[in-house]
Amino acid sequence: MERELDTELEFHLDMLAAQYVERGMSPDNARRAARQIFGVVDRVKDDVRDTWLTRTLEAIGQDVRYGMRGLRRYRGYAAAVIATMALGIGANTAIFSVVNAVVLQPLPYQRGDDLVLLRQARSDRENTGFSINDIDDIKALTTTMDAVVEYHGMYFILLGGWEPARVATGVVSWDYFDTLGIRPLLGRGFVEREDGPDGPATLIISYQYWQRAFKGDPAIIGRLVTMNDRQHTVVGVLPDVPMYPQGNDVYMPRGACPFRMNPREAARRGSGMALAMGRRKPGVSIHETQADVDAIARQLQSKYPNAYPAARGYALTASPLRREFTRGFESTLFMLLGAAGFVLLIVCASVANLSIARTLRREHELSLRTALGADRGRLLRQLLTENVLLSIAGAAAGLILALVGLELLVSYAERFTARASEIRIDATVLLFTLSISILTGLVAGVVPALSRRLPSKRGSNRQDLRRLLIVGQVAVSVVLLIGAGLMLRSLLKLTGVDPGFTTDRVLTMQIDLDFSKYGNSPERSDYLDRLLAGLRRVPGALYVGASGTIPFLEGSHGAFDHFLIEGQPIDRNRLPRASVKIASDDYFRAMNIPMISGRSFGSSDDLDHPAVVIVNQSLATRHWPGGDAVGHRISGDGVTWNTIVGVVADVRQQLAQEPEAELYLAMKQSPWVTTNWVIRSSTSFESMAPIVRDAVHAVDPGQPIFRLRPLDELRAASIAPPRLTTMLIGVFAGLALVITAAGIGGVIAFSVGQRTQELGVRLAFGARRLDLVSMILAEGIRLTAIGLALGIAGALLLGSMLTTVLFGVGPTDALTYTAVSSLLLIVAGLACLVPALRAGSTDPLEALRAL
Amino acid sequence: MAQSSKQDILQGTLDMLILQTLALEPMHGWGIAQRIQQISRDVLQVNQGSLYPALHRLEQQGWIDAEWNASENNRQAKYYRLTRTGKRQLSQERENWARMTDAVTRILRTQE
Repeated sequence: MERELDTELEFHLDMLAAQYVERGMSPDNARRAARQIFGVVDRVKDDVRDTWLTRTLEAIGQDVRYGMRGLRRYRGYAAAVIATMALGIGANTAIFSVVNAVVLQPLPYQRGDDLVLLRQARSDRENTGFSINDIDDIKALTTTMDAVVEYHGMYFILLGGWEPARVATGVVSWDYFDTLGIRPLLGRGFVEREDGPDGPATLIISYQYWQRAFKGDPAIIGRLVTMNDRQHTVVGVLPDVPMYPQGNDVYMPRGACPFRMNPREAARRGSGMALAMGRRKPGVSIHETQADVDAIARQLQSKYPNAYPAARGYALTASPLRREFTRGFESTLFMLLGAAGFVLLIVCASVANLSIARTLRREHELSLRTALGADRGRLLRQLLTENVLLSIAGAAAGLILALVGLELLVSYAERFTARASEIRIDATVLLFTLSISILTGLVAGVVPALSRRLPSKRGSNRQDLRRLLIVGQVAVSVVLLIGAGLMLRSLLKLTGVDPGFTTDRVLTMQIDLDFSKYGNSPERSDYLDRLLAGLRRVPGALYVGASGTIPFLEGSHGAFDHFLIEGQPIDRNRLPRASVKIASDDYFRAMNIPMISGRSFGSSDDLDHPAVVIVNQSLATRHWPGGDAVGHRISGDGVTWNTIVGVVADVRQQLAQEPEAELYLAMKQSPWVTTNWVIRSSTSFESMAPIVRDAVHAVDPGQPIFRLRPLDELRAASIAPPRLTTMLIGVFAGLALVITAAGIGGVIAFSVGQRTQELGVRLAFGARRLDLVSMILAEGIRLTAIGLALGIAGALLLGSMLTTVLFGVGPTDALTYTAVSSLLLIVAGLACLVPALRAGSTDPLEALRAL
Repeated sequence: MAQSSKQDILQGTLDMLILQTLALEPMHGWGIAQRIQQISRDVLQVNQGSLYPALHRLEQQGWIDAEWNASENNRQAKYYRLTRTGKRQLSQERENWARMTDAVTRILRTQE
């Protein structure tokens, strides 16, 4: 282009000079004169170049201006498109930001993708913990992992912070953080000499705990705190990263944990206290690691046949740690992503539909402009510009919606995964948003453009296309609505479950005793006695009870253990199992769990009296079907025998879980370190809580109280995840319904507008107005019914995917299908009512005059 | 200015004159300038410095397009040609011009 311009100007100058020569100038002078007249050549070139640039900018500017003007003229259309797109794009961006953060992005560790979680399973029990011996053996035998580390969680009392605190403590191998690839934010990691019992006691604190308990004090390194009667030095602060299986307040090397260093515990091959993680050597696949641990399992089984009896089976598995962070959440996430995708489909169809309607209305304007000589390319470009403008506005609005909803979504995801804190709108999410908005814009632009090509008889084919889109929208909405309906039904069933006890006006709290202060059973028993007495004196307290764990808490199903029944032959491979719990005298009364037979624990069931036990009905009927469980004796170790003194009714530990075999030891005889208290009261939680707090501190001012909550609230919180998921799906389904209803109404209204004359003729020939109304209504209902049938077929096909999430209802629940069908028909009917009434009020004279 | 009879072309009319000139036959920039001068009997002087920006602007607008061809003296020259939209544009500008000169003339007449 530049070269051409040079040549062109050169030619002109030569011609000019030649003219001057003709007039008698010398060639040199002529050339100089030519240049003078022509102006400085470079200036001219600049001017020419300016025209090139201005022209491009102008064209874009003009398109945008025309587009804006066009949209201003169709304000309602623009608003409808932007709002619809914003809903679809917002929903998808929000859900995708979660998927992106917790599923797609690598763990924020150095070699996060190489980490594996090890599990061991027996045929009758899956995912039992590892014993210290197991982990040492795996570490020694593995050929595919360059590190194997252990972890177990404890609760300790920490003194030396702002106040005595119960801290969640991760007890780990010294090379734990190195293996995970987490470099401390401050200070250092653990070192090898801290691994043994004689090493110095050190702590690394989590970022959150550092902020919360130490206000982010930068001088924290070197600080001394007391735990378990020992001085611990804070040596490091972790960065703000998600941790598996949970974020702890502090981490200590295993050498500092009194429990872990208890020689008896450490030697027991069946102890199952720890969790094990490994790091694959670079380049080793997960399958190779699995083959490796399979071989290790076989070696262990042949070496220790007593610890891993063949009849009970033994298997080791290695699974990527990254997937473990979202275990159980992925299916929910993909369901949400699917639902959001459905909404986007409906949005695309709806926007295409709006766009066609506008094209139909603009037909006149467009043909006029074509006739006036506007070139077709230009017109198409302008339509495209309008769509691009709308897409940009829709995407921006959607992004704002997503940002607004993000905080809610993070708190939702927190209930499922530690990685929720990583959720943000990053470059990947923005790219996704851009892609789906371009896609939506294209669909919305291309479909009407294609429809213009169809042989058209006054737009009738395009109206057919619109009907087709509506049928599709209805079908997809039906699938969403049925999904949401099923989940709602399931949630209602879940909410209505009777767990076997009552939850109103019951206060709960967790008390974790200081390991160092109350190390022995008699001390603990004495403390718990005094606490019980103190709480009983609280005004308003009707019954005060305590157990190790209470229903609705995570892990409330407790530890399953084998037990022996006196007088029955012992088959080591098939020992009976039950969840072992403890209960205080009034626990069953405070929870309102009925006694079936025998008695509850009494004040004399203490360490000085014979060991007793209460079993639940499931256990009693399994082993004593005749109903004579009371009086028999069972034992956990074959040494201490507990007499069954009572049978209590079954309770559900979680609303969705069937009751299991359970046995309760007397709290005074088994005073655990962690106890959960239940106080059935005659007054409200708000008035009880402060008095209860004071009563606890009156017994021991240094005793932290954890999770002081009404039992009702625990119950509600336990089903919060399905409730929130149902709400999200419900919102999506609601959006779908509204968009679809608006679509149906729009199509029918347009059809009425087009048929004014026909309606007039019908009236003139004696049709009643009511006939017209029902004729138009029938048109809308017919479209809806077709979509409904298709949607039901789709829901029946897809429903089985929901089976695992549903509680108490099948994926083909007739009530849900019926309710959704009626709802849809009613809503569609209402959407068509306005245009139908307008059809009914057609003025025949006016309609005919327009002919 | 020594030659008072010679005039620079009115702002905005150059485009129209170029289109009009090209309506007769395709021509290069030099030829266009010459032709305008000749036909106007040297009354109108094309400002050489604004001719080429104008040509390129018109080309961008799609009213004219260009082709390289041998000139009368056998050199490569860029020949401009009127397009269909250019023709329409010309007729429109002609109308506008006629309306405007008409109006101006009428106003001048009332003042006499």
